[in-house]
Amino acid sequence: MQVIIMGCGRSGSALASRLETEGDVVTLLDPDESAADRLPVGFKGRFIHGSGTSRTLLEDADIAHAEAFVALSPSDSANIVAARTARDHYRVPRVFSRLFDPARAPIYSELGIATVGSVQTNVNRVHHLLHHRGLEPELTFGNGETMLVRSFIPDYLGGRRVAELNVAGEIQVVEIGRAGHSSVPEGTSVLQPGDFVSFIVASGSLGRLRSFLDRTWS
Amino acid sequence: MRILVAGGGSLGLQAAQRLGADGHDVTIIELSSARASAIRQLGLATVRGDAAVAATLEAAGALRAQALIACTASDEENLLISFVAKRHFAIHRVVALVNRAENAWLFGESWGVDAAVSPTAALLSMIEQESSP
Repeated sequence: MQVIIMGCGRSGSALASRLETEGDVVTLLDPDESAADRLPVGFKGRFIHGSGTSRTLLEDADIAHAEAFVALSPSDSANIVAARTARDHYRVPRVFSRLFDPARAPIYSELGIATVGSVQTNVNRVHHLLHHRGLEPELTFGNGETMLVRSFIPDYLGGRRVAELNVAGEIQVVEIGRAGHSSVPEGTSVLQPGDFVSFIVASGSLGRLRSFLDRTWS
Repeated sequence: MRILVAGGGSLGLQAAQRLGADGHDVTIIELSSARASAIRQLGLATVRGDAAVAATLEAAGALRAQALIACTASDEENLLISFVAKRHFAIHRVVALVNRAENAWLFGESWGVDAAVSPTAALLSMIEQESSP
């Protein structure tokens, strides 16, 4: 795949390096010549010194044949202008843009440009991690078919019985930590907000458990 | 005529003062709060905010404006401001400043720009006229 990346910062250079390793043909555009130093030694893609909105440089990067354009410069407005130009003027089929400022999100959606890495996404993710510890597996069993995950019980699940969280063949509550003590629950045990609970989960059901524990998860 | 000037730099300020002196109802939109209060002290109507966000333009009176001048120091900002002004408020006359001549090709209908002003292109055309054989 022929890919143009605008912005050779930390994200742009890391993405370029990975795509190149996987066999994609990568061209980077950056107005700062020293940004090329971020690329790994032996990088075989192209680096073009200049702006992602210059017609001469975009055509030098062979944008007419690019299959993807990714705008990762530090400027939201430069990213959106370049992304829209790539899509509408040069008909690049896959276009993505980074967006920092959530206040600018409506313009991106109006223009139909997919965004990544916005401040809002990061805030949501950190918020989620703070409240639910991310539900990353603490242990996996077999070839990863089942795993142990632990999570605090949110307020709105307080008063529910353990049996209401168990799903046959998918999710099983195996331990409850409360006030420094751990116990093996029965189906009739009642959960309290703040309990730190261990679940055995089938790998395909992690999303279902997440949706139980965090109604805002998407 | 009600006119919005997005960008309170030297050019935006002069345009606003001149248009105001001619009897137009002018409001400047400026991102920097320090710059916005400095302009306000000169007696010019000023709204502090991001002119590429529809709510800011609306607060500055975009629903009743007939013209907008996008003259920030960033070409991409000027394009986005023009786009929002035309798309959301159908402002009749949208004029945008081209800071870098290499970006002039972008300034057109697709971004809602009715007229683009490029000082570089104007200067060069003067020189070329003078030096033509």
